[in-house]
Amino acid sequence: MEDQQGRGTHTIETLTTQLDDLLASRRQNAGWDAAYQEILTRLNREGFLAGILGAGAAFPDFVLPSAEGRLIALADELARGPVVLSFFRGEWCPFCKLTLEALARNLPAIEAAGARVLALTPETGGLPLALKHRHNAGFEVLADVDFGVGLSAGVVFKIPTLYRARLEASGNSLPLRHGNAAWCLPVPATFILRPDATIAWRFVDVDFAHRAEPADIIAALRSL
Amino acid sequence: MELSQVRYFITLCKTLNFTRAAEQCNVTQPALTRAIQRLEDELGGALLFRERNLTQLTELGRAMRPHLETMLEAADAAAGLARARRKHVAGSLKIGLGPGIGAAAVAPAVREVAKMLPDVAIHFDESGPAALIDSMLTDMLDCALLPDDCDLPERLNRWPLYRESAVIVLPTEHRLCVLNAVTARDLLDETILTGERCGGFANALVQITGFSLRLQRCNGAAAQMLDLIGAGLGIALLSERLPVSGPLATRKFIDPDLSRGILLTAVAGRPLNPAAASFIKLCRARAFQ
Repeated sequence: MEDQQGRGTHTIETLTTQLDDLLASRRQNAGWDAAYQEILTRLNREGFLAGILGAGAAFPDFVLPSAEGRLIALADELARGPVVLSFFRGEWCPFCKLTLEALARNLPAIEAAGARVLALTPETGGLPLALKHRHNAGFEVLADVDFGVGLSAGVVFKIPTLYRARLEASGNSLPLRHGNAAWCLPVPATFILRPDATIAWRFVDVDFAHRAEPADIIAALRSL
Repeated sequence: MELSQVRYFITLCKTLNFTRAAEQCNVTQPALTRAIQRLEDELGGALLFRERNLTQLTELGRAMRPHLETMLEAADAAAGLARARRKHVAGSLKIGLGPGIGAAAVAPAVREVAKMLPDVAIHFDESGPAALIDSMLTDMLDCALLPDDCDLPERLNRWPLYRESAVIVLPTEHRLCVLNAVTARDLLDETILTGERCGGFANALVQITGFSLRLQRCNGAAAQMLDLIGAGLGIALLSERLPVSGPLATRKFIDPDLSRGILLTAVAGRPLNPAAASFIKLCRARAFQ
């Protein structure tokens, strides 16, 4: 997909480059790297990606609270055009930060292609709004409380032991953030939904350092 | 993990029988068994063990069940509200309010639910914690806002919503109105109205300070208490969130600190109607100032 990126017009580096740099610096910490590898090994071994909604499938309709405290229905968003629906790990995740920044930067081009963006996070307690404000995001940030929509899409996994231990040791209380003690997270997943709710395009990866490149999203939207 | 895997597992938890679970889920038994095995692979261990005809949950299975049940309910609720809206289902939203807890903080969430489901009947019940807990357990209430100092049974899920401080409510011509903030010592010559719906601030004050304060027992709704304050019977320590107007004023109460946390509670593992499920999600998603 790399050759779809408009090289001449990109004055800033791609999201992928930024994520790779961040990953490389994180992996210098052996403990972090082992926890990271454990997630990849576990999810690759069991064929996790096969359980995620694929192109052509209908994305199930849902209603979720927005960061501002409104109820947002997927059907209402789709009535206005295609939807880019993206799952995030949360406000604490540096890889999500880079991705949200890139998404916010590219929002005008996405909207110019007629689409709307919904960003889902499993976080509660005002964190979805904090995430939205931090990135000055002009798109809807929705609280996927208790992973309901993530589970329907097949993107939720139980965090393996090493990674969970690192989160706990760093004082990052996911039970507090999520309002449940399930210790789950979504894998990176971005779906482009046609107005009839079918999935036209998707990006999924078990590796949380891999995210949908905005240029690829825009190219997919233009080819709808 | 996949929605169907989780659904099969929760059905198995309830039936403890692969044949019956497969029937209830409308799949063949081998398909159900395979799905459970894949879920076990992801979760890193066996969820169930079979001894002769007996199926039992393992320790991991027992530990995971409430979490997976919650996630399955969330998935069903997110889809359920979308469906209820398309079909114009008339539902109800029954919210309990603990003593002295106003509805103002959660009113925007109720408004959102009613916008999605215009036919929903909204019902508030203000009562003591024990009565509200009983109503939730017997399915008369969907959820309740309760103070964090009451005893909650294990079966109740709880999420902290906000903290609230006590204010002094008094007539505008009262001598204490000249103060910006009031302390316990300022109340030594006052009559303090206190009742079941006052939030227990006056009793807490007596306990903390050991002062012998003049307490006037007064049970009834907040509006009636405010009427008595207006008539000059006494003053009251009430939640800062209670709207007070007219001939009454409020002053901050600063010494000692009288505040309490307010929790949103609901019975764990019980499927809620779409209106109630959405209300709870809305309350949990946001921060309360």
